[in-house]
Amino acid sequence: MENFLLRNIENPNSADINEYLKVGGYKNLTKSLGMKPKDIIEEVKKSGLRGRGGAGFPAAMKWNFATADPKFPKYLLCNADEGEPGTFKDRPILEKNPHLLIEGMVISGYALGSEYGYIYLRGEYPQAKDILNEAIKQAYEKKYLGDDILGKGVKFHLSVYQGAGAYICGEETALIESIEGKKGQPRSKPPFPVNVGAWSMPTIVNNVETLSNVPYIMEIGGDAYSNIGSKDCPGPKLFSVSGYVEKPGVYELPMGISLRDIIYKHAGGIKDSKKLKAVIPGGISTPVLPADGIDCAMDFVSMPKAGSMLGSGAVIVLDESVCMVRVAYRALKFFEHESCGKCVPCREGTDWLRKILERIENGKGSEGDIYLLSDVAGLISGRTFCPLGDGAAGVVTGMIKHFRNEFEEHIKNKKCVVS
Amino acid sequence: MISLTINEKEVTLDKPVTVLEAAKQAGIKIPTLCHHDLLKPWSGCRLCVVEVERMPRLQTACTLMAADGMVIKTESEAISNVRRGILEFLLINHPLDCPYCDKAGECELQDLVNKYGPTVGRYKEEKRKVPESHKDQIIARNTERCVMCTRCVRMCNDVQGASAISIIGRGNHSRMEPFSSESFDCEYCGNCLTVCPVGAILSRLYIHSFRPWQVDKEVGTICSYCGVGCSLVVQVRDDSIKRVIPKLGFGLNKGLLCSRGRFGYEYVNSPDRLKTPLVRKNGKLEESTWSEALSIIADKLTEIKGTSGGSAIAGIASPRCSNEDNYVLQKFMRVTCGSNNIDSLSRTGFAAAQKYFEDLLGQGITANIIDGIKNSEVVLVIGGDPTAVNPILGLSIREAARRGASIIVLGHAKGLEKFKTVQVVPPLFKEAEVLEALLVELFRAKGVRAELPFIDKEMRELSEKAAEKMDLPGFDELMKALLNSASTSIVLGMDLIQRTNGHRSLFGVAGITYLLEARLYLLSERPNEQGLIDAGCVPDMLPGGRPMNIPDFKSKFEAAWNGPIPDDDGLTLFEIIEGIKNRNIKALYVMGENPVFNLPGGPFLKDIFGNLDLLVVQDIFLTETAEIADVVLPALGWAEKSGTYTNLERRIQLQKQAVKTSRGMEDWRILSEISGRMGQKMGYLETDDIMREMAKVSPLYADLTYDEIGKGDCLWPYHGKPLRGEMNEVPPVVDAEKDYKADFYLAPEKLLFHSGTLSRKSPALMKICPEPTLKMSAASAGKLGLKEGDRVQFSTTAGSSEAPVSIDESIKDNRVFLSNNFQGSGVMDLLSFSIDEVTKAFGIEGCEVEIKKHGIKA
Ligand SMILES: Cc1cc2nc3c(=O)[nH]c(=O)nc-3n(C[C@H](O)[C@H](O)[C@H](O)COP(=O)(O)O)c2cc1C
Ligand code: SF4
Ligand code: SF4
Ligand code: SF4
Ligand code: FES
Repeated sequence: MENFLLRNIENPNSADINEYLKVGGYKNLTKSLGMKPKDIIEEVKKSGLRGRGGAGFPAAMKWNFATADPKFPKYLLCNADEGEPGTFKDRPILEKNPHLLIEGMVISGYALGSEYGYIYLRGEYPQAKDILNEAIKQAYEKKYLGDDILGKGVKFHLSVYQGAGAYICGEETALIESIEGKKGQPRSKPPFPVNVGAWSMPTIVNNVETLSNVPYIMEIGGDAYSNIGSKDCPGPKLFSVSGYVEKPGVYELPMGISLRDIIYKHAGGIKDSKKLKAVIPGGISTPVLPADGIDCAMDFVSMPKAGSMLGSGAVIVLDESVCMVRVAYRALKFFEHESCGKCVPCREGTDWLRKILERIENGKGSEGDIYLLSDVAGLISGRTFCPLGDGAAGVVTGMIKHFRNEFEEHIKNKKCVVS
Repeated sequence: MISLTINEKEVTLDKPVTVLEAAKQAGIKIPTLCHHDLLKPWSGCRLCVVEVERMPRLQTACTLMAADGMVIKTESEAISNVRRGILEFLLINHPLDCPYCDKAGECELQDLVNKYGPTVGRYKEEKRKVPESHKDQIIARNTERCVMCTRCVRMCNDVQGASAISIIGRGNHSRMEPFSSESFDCEYCGNCLTVCPVGAILSRLYIHSFRPWQVDKEVGTICSYCGVGCSLVVQVRDDSIKRVIPKLGFGLNKGLLCSRGRFGYEYVNSPDRLKTPLVRKNGKLEESTWSEALSIIADKLTEIKGTSGGSAIAGIASPRCSNEDNYVLQKFMRVTCGSNNIDSLSRTGFAAAQKYFEDLLGQGITANIIDGIKNSEVVLVIGGDPTAVNPILGLSIREAARRGASIIVLGHAKGLEKFKTVQVVPPLFKEAEVLEALLVELFRAKGVRAELPFIDKEMRELSEKAAEKMDLPGFDELMKALLNSASTSIVLGMDLIQRTNGHRSLFGVAGITYLLEARLYLLSERPNEQGLIDAGCVPDMLPGGRPMNIPDFKSKFEAAWNGPIPDDDGLTLFEIIEGIKNRNIKALYVMGENPVFNLPGGPFLKDIFGNLDLLVVQDIFLTETAEIADVVLPALGWAEKSGTYTNLERRIQLQKQAVKTSRGMEDWRILSEISGRMGQKMGYLETDDIMREMAKVSPLYADLTYDEIGKGDCLWPYHGKPLRGEMNEVPPVVDAEKDYKADFYLAPEKLLFHSGTLSRKSPALMKICPEPTLKMSAASAGKLGLKEGDRVQFSTTAGSSEAPVSIDESIKDNRVFLSNNFQGSGVMDLLSFSIDEVTKAFGIEGCEVEIKKHGIKA
């Protein structure tokens, strides 16, 4: 498959608008502005595009909710918080192909009747900030942004808002709170952001990759797009592969590709020819798969059947040298640190889990701790305000399910199976 | 209509509510922790989970809206598991110091754990340690006990609007903290304390002094401080007040209080309280007995009445005393002493304005429900900061702002800085001109209303005379907002009335009220300013607002009171003072008031009061006026006696006795004792007797009983018929054009944390606000080279004083403000004044002041 999202990124100047124009950039915008907004949404609907931020929500459905709301102004927020450990798939777009995102946002804004867009950028992406700001400046100069885009009387303004490093601000309602200048904590739903979002106005939150797919849909048409990859959730997908592989990096591959192929065909297999132990297929919040569980299609529909989730498509590969207790402990340290504190089970539970894991990892675990871990994870799971808490509980449950022996070893023999 | 099933019980709702509320209506209790009836839902604690058929996860009842056909279970094995789990989580980091914690016994966490909690703890690691914060003098903060429910924060932000506290930090490291770090820099309403479910924030006023279950009794009464009249509960043990708390959902304040109401109660037990009568002997006040003191007064008054006539006697009523007290005082003056010289210091503001508006627009024009403000489209705030004078009324304005109303401030109001839509700053002391210009513009746009022709006529004349449209920043926006508003509230403070030509402003306000059919609210600093008017403590009106000059009314009262009422018109406050100066008035009877401190020109008053043959002061403290009296009588204070009060919306409420003391006597009882000694028996045994008489003689109070009043919604016009002689002509304006070219002018300021001189006997309020400051704009401070906290000396032609400077962003002109609460440094002593011909209030504009940095020689 030819790259679209990562088209031209080998070019060291790919972020420059002239380079982008050379490879056909902004022609999809010109084409789109010649269409009726609702026809654009129709095209996106036909394409079957699903959100790439993790939940896989059908993009056109979200858009239709937002356009059905009579309130104006409407805000288009691009979720570029990319905070999930293991995830760095949006980064090449932000840093190497910013005009693709801008073009996608202008088309989407036009389709949605939104005149104001914001890119909510991860606090730890300082280069991306400069690159995006420069790209936005160029786009304004060339009239791809502004009050009268391409002389068509279409208005769209775009700016970058940088977060302060909280993972929870990737959750769309916390993101909205943050962009309003408040403490990043999720809001109650309903009302949904499409009706009552930023500054109480209808707000569409989409991931970087989701919005960057829009020009492609306009280029090849919704029907053609829907034939790429999986039937239920088609399109190209970016996978960020990390861990013990020969060639870690971001790969643009069709949705539904098997996890085994990603690891062995594209990422060059396990490093130093070691044995694969486990894979976390979609970012740290998705349950771990054992080595024999990787023959699954990487898409939103198939992964739950395989016992995990597609998440952000961040494939973390772990080989035989890795201690799973330690992985669990590191993961919970992350969740405990990032829990926003709004709800009791996540706030108190992640801290407790981390402490138990720390104890086990340090050889101070005692009998009953595995049961306690599962029980506390159960007290969190399904009871938290937002999915962050569920994710934390899922890590622990998954690790115990597949690697119970490593926990037992730590507790009984006060040592690690791998050392 | 929505019907749903909760625990197999059919529930029908007439409006959409949450499942929690629906269950409550059905008598089913769902445990909650982060939910509070005064606050928006938060959904953080997850205790309120319920099972909903066809919904995959458990749902939180506090956020889920009840929908038609829902089938809900509020108790099940799965739900119990969740609740037990949540409580276990809450306890892992909770200090479990219940035996030491002052919340024990009324702690929601304790109660929940008792009912739903786990029996054993499985947590083995160290608990989170956060040292208790000892910095704040009023609020004790122990964040280790905090359950992070954010109720305090939501209260502070979304209801009080002070935005002083927050949950700092993230996740399990978060803690509740004031933005000002250790101590609170806030409005000290203490409403956060009301909503905290645990012992994380507590009032220092009572901690370690009693346990909730040790309270002997709880008395529901009203606050003693301002004209709002908030409901509150006094908790008593061994006849002493242990704590004042609000009662949720109760009274017009619905469970909210301000700093004065909540923390200001300690004055009742102040060691400075008067305990025995004092009589001046050889120039010195000496302790005396009741019988000696009362006889001296009775004899002297009888003598003066005999030799100089009743008109040589005058009385000053008290806006801090009850309707009953004031009613008896005016009756005592009129019948026993034979004098209509009865007035009060409300003459200098509230009573003056109230009379002016009622004369012009009809009785009851100011009787508007405070709660209605929040539904306004425009709130026009003039001449004072409602959030300081009448804090709970101020909250309604803030709520109106949240609901999208335009808040327009004419002048300045610090407490509305974050809420105002437009601030229009009139040129110095030209508020009347601005109001007139506004009226003219509104009249031009709207035309005559044709209900009160004399007002229409006056407006037409004004608009014919008026020159060009006023060119003032914000004026057009103000005009537009008023013209587009279908529902306007006007909130008027006393600053505009206290002007040489104050009635000119009042006409402007009256005209705007009339044209826009607005609701008019008069800010009222004391709890019974309205009540004393209705009780007849004004020289020209009998109880119920009955004009003296209508013979029919007079004879009816004479019959009821068994004695003649003098024919001559009584004197207003400043006429009484004039009379004292000219030695026409020989005796002055002051009940619960401190004219020497509270009126401008204190030293002068002190001086001329020396002319009196008899000065009687009846009070709870030895005030500046009491100090120079011939006889001082100790009265009972708030919570020590019962009586009714009429608030600024004209709601009559019951103030109840909570503690018994032998310190003094009720004001009315003292008066009736003296009256008896003067040969005019009053025959009251208890306050009920007085109320019964008032209900009989005052048509306004017709058939009112304590039972009815006690229910809390005794609203204007009660059972009475509004009736009274009205104006049919607008009093003319006599204007002296003056230029205000001085660098600085001094003006009085009303403080949130103080009220008259009462609050200085409340240690808590003195801790929050220990000394006066000279408030000025940043520009003024810059001009003088001053910064926050610099001490300055300042002087006017009347006197001088010193205080630290405080910079107030809301002030936009070259006035500097000083309060009138602190001993020895009240603003009133420094003001020169004149009297408004129509309202008879004093005018204090244009008081030039020189300001010097302390220690710098001129
Ligand atoms: C804890 C948490 C963190 C999240 N972080 C991100 C993120 O970093 N980037 C992102 O695009 N979506 C993130 N999401 C998903 C968003 O809430 C939201 O579903 C997404 O931005 C919608 O865009 P999409 O429909 O285009 O996927 C997160 C969700 C949760 C619960
Ligand atoms: S699960 Fe609760 S505490 Fe955790 S991040 Fe979400 S809202 Fe915050
Ligand atoms: S201080 Fe009290 S009200 Fe505030 S968050 Fe903590 S427990 Fe809740
Ligand atoms: S607003 Fe007035 S009545 Fe209410 S608590 Fe405060 S001082 Fe008392
Ligand atoms: S009361 Fe509903 S979540 Fe706390």
